[in-house]
Amino acid sequence: MSADRPAAAPHAAGRPSARADLVWSVIWLAVGMAIFHGGFTMDRLEGQNINPYTAPGLVPALLGVAIALAGAALLARSLRRRDGDAGADAGETSWGRLALVALLCIGYAAGLVGRGPPFWLATALFVFVAIAALQWPERRARGETVRGLAVAAACAAGTAAAVTLVFQEVFLVRLP
Amino acid sequence: MLDGLASLGASLAGFAQPLTLAIIAGSCLLGITIGALPGLTATMGVALLTTLTLKMEPRIALMVLVCAYVGAIYGGSRSAILLNIPGTPANAAACLDGYALARSGQAGRAIGISTTGSVMGTLIGIFFLAIATPVLGEFALKFGAYEFFWLALFGVVISGKLTGDDPLKGWLVGFLGLFVATIGQDGIHAYERFAFGDRDLAGGFQLIPALVGAFGFAEVLTVLAERARRAEIRSFGSHLPRPGDVLKYWRTVIRSGVIGTFMGIVPGVGEDVASWSSYAAAKRASREADKFGKGSVEGLMAAETGDNACVPGAVIPVLALAVPGSAPAAVLMAAMIIHGVQPGPLIMVNNPQFVYDVVAMMLFATLGILVFGLALVRPLLKVLQIPRDIIMPIVFVLCVVGSYAIAQRLFDVWTMLGFGVLGFVLRRYNYPMAPFVLGIVLGDILDKNLRRGLVLSDGDLTPFFTRPISATLAAICVVTILLNVPAVRRAFARALAGGRG
Repeated sequence: MSADRPAAAPHAAGRPSARADLVWSVIWLAVGMAIFHGGFTMDRLEGQNINPYTAPGLVPALLGVAIALAGAALLARSLRRRDGDAGADAGETSWGRLALVALLCIGYAAGLVGRGPPFWLATALFVFVAIAALQWPERRARGETVRGLAVAAACAAGTAAAVTLVFQEVFLVRLP
Repeated sequence: MLDGLASLGASLAGFAQPLTLAIIAGSCLLGITIGALPGLTATMGVALLTTLTLKMEPRIALMVLVCAYVGAIYGGSRSAILLNIPGTPANAAACLDGYALARSGQAGRAIGISTTGSVMGTLIGIFFLAIATPVLGEFALKFGAYEFFWLALFGVVISGKLTGDDPLKGWLVGFLGLFVATIGQDGIHAYERFAFGDRDLAGGFQLIPALVGAFGFAEVLTVLAERARRAEIRSFGSHLPRPGDVLKYWRTVIRSGVIGTFMGIVPGVGEDVASWSSYAAAKRASREADKFGKGSVEGLMAAETGDNACVPGAVIPVLALAVPGSAPAAVLMAAMIIHGVQPGPLIMVNNPQFVYDVVAMMLFATLGILVFGLALVRPLLKVLQIPRDIIMPIVFVLCVVGSYAIAQRLFDVWTMLGFGVLGFVLRRYNYPMAPFVLGIVLGDILDKNLRRGLVLSDGDLTPFFTRPISATLAAICVVTILLNVPAVRRAFARALAGGRG
């Protein structure tokens, strides 16, 4: 059925290069073999006299084999396609923006939440910095930096207040 | 039959209370808004709302999720028509003709067609939901461990085959999902697998934080990594549906509704495949095939009927088999379990009224998208113009707090982050997410039933291949995989050509 989709569906992801598939195939092979090893060497609970067909490592070991086989098929295919496949372009991705967003999100969720500052403060800080930083180039070009910061501050205050109120007071969740 | 109608009547009457109707209205509106905003998908919306409805009464909470699901799939057509950006992946087919109509000054007509198609499609899907769920549930009572093992594998294989353009990658992530489900205590001996002595990991990954990560955080990264574009809304005329558009293409509506529902029933396939399949079938059968892609009313009608018919279709296997038909349906299933409803073959025995409750929820949701879809055209335009740079950080806050709220432990936040980064990277390299999600959902079923089956047969594999239902599912899985092996495909093509010659 997927063949019925037009080749250039709007905003469809580009096809990755054979080189990328080659790298991924090696990763899949390694992951599959590691899972198989983990499943195969897992305790078979023989000391508890269980039926050997219910050994906990059986299914993971089989899945490891399946992943390794599919990885090998991807490897063979990417080696066949290696010549003449230019692969996809990076689209409209801005790597600088991606790094900034990843840093902000992971910094907030793994570095701020539950690590000292109250949830409302961590949330307000994250929303303010994220909106201000992401909109900064556009706002500066249009001479609206003060307005941009005011919008970011309003969104930060509103989000922190609403989320804290709803989850802590209405849903009785002990926020970190 | 009459019992079923009486049960449906009782469900409809149960929901027809002023406060409940207000909640239905709000949920539909929220769903349409989520769908209309590019970057907020139906799966993400339903997953986030699951965390927001934890403390509600189960029937009301699930009704909110159903209304949001139906609303989001419909709402995605709005940005497809007006911006040429599908609000959800299910609406990509609607871009082709919807945007072409908008460019020719008929955006209002396109909105009317998409609303009509979505409503008709949902109603066709609801019809099948009401009549097929009890039948399928009764049939599934014959399933044993062997059949459930193959059903789980069938879901991953078919989902991997149909949801992307590279089945091999679909199967890889499907197997990975099945493996992820085995992490933590196993369901038979409570043995800790791949936990490495970590107490949190020993409990396994919760489905909702994993889905919020794979669909929420991954989407935040994807959307914000792209340079923002300003939304340019074109002017449009009347958006009231024209009866002529429906009457002229009634065959397309019915065909697309049936295809969409069937695609929903097939495990893990989902709304985007339903939409493209309906579109392709309409194009093949149309006398105006040359107009498709250039502003065809029939094409837009087919795409929008197909994807919305898929919503009730995807709920059929959830209720009858505990196997989701799409990614949002997987979240809905997880929400049902959280709220104490156990879907599966026994639902018609233990909780038959719930099936009719879901039918009633779908009917109210359909009414909601009809009313709000036509009444709030201009306010929704304003929503489309909110910059993504403002929406997405707020969405991420909801991803964090939603993941945390389920069990109030930070491990779920880290799970969300981990699955988000994994989902983002996999998507960039063309790995579809639906088989991954389905793998996580079906992993436990596959694991327990393979081992139970082997115990029952004392290690003999024969019953896995000789019982009629098992044999059918096994044959489909094996043939689907083999036909993607180039050498086998070539041999098959040669054999076919030889047979004809």
